[in-house]
Order: sequence, then C-alpha cells, then structure tokens
Amino acid sequence: MIYDASIRYRLLKDRLFKISLGVLSCILLMPLLFILYYIFINGITAFSFDFFLELPKPVGEAGGGISNAIVGTLLLIAVASTISIPFGVLIGLYLSENKTGKLPDITRLCIDTLQGIPSIVMGIIAYTWIVIPLGSFSLFSGAFALSLMMIPLISKSTEETLNLIPDALKEAAYALGAPYHTTLLRVIIPSGKSGLCSGILLGVARVSGETAPLLFTAFGNPFMSVDLFKSVNSLPLLIFNYATSPYQDWQNLAWGASLLLVLFVLSLSLIAKVVSKR
Amino acid sequence: MSKNSVVLEVEKLNLYINDHHILKDIDIAFYKNKVTAIMGPSGCGKTTLIRSVNRLNDLIPGLKSTGSLSLNQQNLLELNPIQVRREVGMVFQRPNPFPTMSIYENVLAGYYLNGIKLSKDDKERIVTESLQQAALFDEVKDNIHRKGTFLSGGQQQRLCIARALAMNPKILLLDEPTSALDPKSTASIEQLIIELKSKVTIIMVTHNIGQASRVSDFTAFLYLGELVEYGPTQTLFTNPKHTKTEEYLTRKFG
Repeated sequence: MIYDASIRYRLLKDRLFKISLGVLSCILLMPLLFILYYIFINGITAFSFDFFLELPKPVGEAGGGISNAIVGTLLLIAVASTISIPFGVLIGLYLSENKTGKLPDITRLCIDTLQGIPSIVMGIIAYTWIVIPLGSFSLFSGAFALSLMMIPLISKSTEETLNLIPDALKEAAYALGAPYHTTLLRVIIPSGKSGLCSGILLGVARVSGETAPLLFTAFGNPFMSVDLFKSVNSLPLLIFNYATSPYQDWQNLAWGASLLLVLFVLSLSLIAKVVSKR
Repeated sequence: MSKNSVVLEVEKLNLYINDHHILKDIDIAFYKNKVTAIMGPSGCGKTTLIRSVNRLNDLIPGLKSTGSLSLNQQNLLELNPIQVRREVGMVFQRPNPFPTMSIYENVLAGYYLNGIKLSKDDKERIVTESLQQAALFDEVKDNIHRKGTFLSGGQQQRLCIARALAMNPKILLLDEPTSALDPKSTASIEQLIIELKSKVTIIMVTHNIGQASRVSDFTAFLYLGELVEYGPTQTLFTNPKHTKTEEYLTRKFG
C-alpha cells in the first residue's frame, strides 16, 4: 500500500498522455475536414449536367461547363501513364533484380534525384525539349512533364513490391526449367500485380493535381481539343486561371472543378488501398 | 549393389564459392528407382550437393564447380541449366506453389513457363495423372480451378510434387520436403516418396535420421563437405564403418 500514491500518479500521467494524443490527432484532422467541407459546399452548387458536358462560356453568359478540362486531364493522364508505366515498371524490376552493383546504385540515385526535382522544373524541361522544337504548346509536352514525375513514383513502388516476393517462387520456376524472362514475366510480375497496380494508381493520383508542369506545356485551352500536338486544358490549369479571375461565374466553375479533382484523387487513393489489400 | 543400375554418376565434384571449398571430391552414384537420402549436420553441403544436380547453384555469384555429374552419358555441368532442369525435378523445404495460379495451372506450370503448348486432352490427362501420383487428386478434384494457396501445408507440398512430376523428370530432388510440415502431413509425404520410387529416382536431403531410415534405400553421410560414408541404408544404420557416422547416428553431434 506504500506505492499507492505513486501508482495513482503514474496512471493519471498515462491517461493524460493518451488523451493528449487523441486531442492532437483530432486537431490535425480538423484542417483536412474543414478543407473538404469548404470545397464541397462551394463546389457542389456548380455541379450540373452542363458543368460536365458544356464548354466554358464567355464572361457574362450564364452557365457553361468544364468538359474540355475533364477530357484534357484524362488525356494527359492517359498519355503520361503510357509513357511512364513501362519505364517505371521496368526500372523497378531491374532494381529489385539487381540489389547491388554500380549501375543499380547509380540508377537508384538518379531516381531519388528525379523525385526531388521541383515540378515546375519538369515543366521547363518539357518546354525546352518539346515545346520549343515543335513550336507549340501541346498535350504531349504536358504529358511528358507529368510522366517525368510519375516514373520515380512507379519505379520505387514497383521495386518495393517486388522485393517482398519470396525468392522461393523464383527458385520454383527455375527448377521447372523456366528461362529468366518467363520467370519474371509470368511468375514474379503477376505475383506482385496488386502492389504494382496500387503503386501506379497512387502515381496517377499524385500527378493529376499538378499545375506547375502544365503551365507552359499543356498551357490550357478554352476549347475542346484531343489533338496530341495542340494545347489542351486540364482541371488544375482551369482552377488556376478561373480562381484568379475577377468573374463570379468563373470562380464558381473553379470551385466545381476543385471538388471534382478532389473526388477524383480521393477515389483513386481509395481504389489503390482496396487493390493493394487483395 | 551390382543389380542396381546407375542413373546419375557424380565423379570428383568440387565446388567453391569464392574461396570457400564447399564440396570436396564427391564421388557418388545414384541408383535407378531408389530413394537415396543425404544426411549430415547443418552446413555440411547437403543442399549444395543436390542443387548441383539441377544447377540451381548457378544463381550464386562467385560459384565454381569442377568434376562431372553424368546423366545419360552427358555431363550436367556442361549442359544448359534449362535443359538440365527439365530432366531433374525439385521440391523445396517450404511448399512454394505459384500464388497467382490455380491448382490446375500449378501442375501445368512447367509446360506453361517453358512455352510448351498442350492440347486440352493432354492437359487434363497430365493434371489428373500427376495429382494421382502425388496422392492429391481425390482431395482436390472438386476444387481444381481454385488457387493452390488455399490448400493446407501438406497438400501444397504434394501439389509441388505433382508440379515436378508433370514434367516426367528422370530424377526428383527433395530438399528437406517435410521440415515445414506437421507430423501427419510428414507421414503422408513419406508414404508418397516410397510409392513414387517405382516411377522416378529420388534424391532427398533430410535432417531427420528417422526419416532417412524409414524411406530411403541408400544413405549418404556428408560431413564438412566430404562424403564420409555411402551405402545401403540398412547397412549404414546398423553397421557404420566410420566413427563420425556412428556419432552422428547416435546424435553425439549434428
């Protein structure tokens, strides 16, 4: 009974610690919930059939939509994925197959560096490499800038996923006489399929909100365009342009576009979570 | 021993990994349709020896081997490893069915991974026969298109045996096939090994002295990379010539 007071003191300290942990995480969650709520309240009023199906209207005319930006964003993501998925997956496969060595170490360093490069710089690179030689802003140059951002994300997640696959599977395939390439393509990659998919989805989610690399590559376009070598609009660009405009109609469209983008990224992350659990 | 025909003859096999001499002048002949057990304390080179037979050791960087392993008058060390592995099946310590494939596809994996096309009838026949030989057919015949990873450990191991048998190997290597299994599954695998030897020559590594005495016809005792003693299991167990063998069998070390 001598220790009674000190034990009670410790229990009290424990409880205070637990409570403060809970309170602090709630405080941390509040800005997120507040942002989501604010975007939802402001954005949901912009949602309508016209919002999804119409082109933006000139200032002063009521209504109008952002169909060109939705199509543009989807096209940018599709082209960027087409470029970055093969490269990202192959680099990841190479790194997980070659854990040590000079070339793998250099590759890993390059991937880390590439990941650390600010997104606006990716835009400048795409501008000097593609926009200037071709002489015009284009969907392709924007997708190229985005793919530069996706490659390190995809290759890293691929490497991590494939590192978790037990060597026993590879040995099993070898013991059956399987050559190296079939072992990788038919055993190792299928075994890591769900991890690869979730990594790719997270990569897409990560770049679909990027504005900076698109500023002087995809550039934006008030009209519908599906041409690979013409400028194209995208949701982040539209938000950037319309939110800073003085017109209430355009600002409303920017809110709607923000909500749409948030919903898109949120659902991609959720799908990635579900896929990786399979 | 003269009435037994030799299927695999190992002569002067030396194996080095970097500067380590792992296997030293191994001379051993494996007999057709017999079960040969390879025993010895941990690190004596048992697994390395059987992995030389299907050239899985090639994966180890810095490996060098000399000598010969002759199967059908061909030195396995000079063939392409892919050719060797189609003649020599292997089952590992831990069951490793392919998690993305169904039971059916797992059995046919050897053909699929080697790009060999089969007719539907051939597929059905090979799957049924192989699963029957591995004593698994009755247990899985209704779920044959389910994933192989849903099976119990012992069933998974028998699936791996079926997968190896489907390729009609001349030799089946078993690397401590029951060390990850419960006693009941172990008993069924041991029974299976005895039944299988009429179809294929079996070389198994085991830590379990009792298992070697129960299932093998011949036993080799390896110690520090050297073949200390080799002979019919009964002789070796009842009347070992070397003191090291006797000490191992009476569990003075190992």
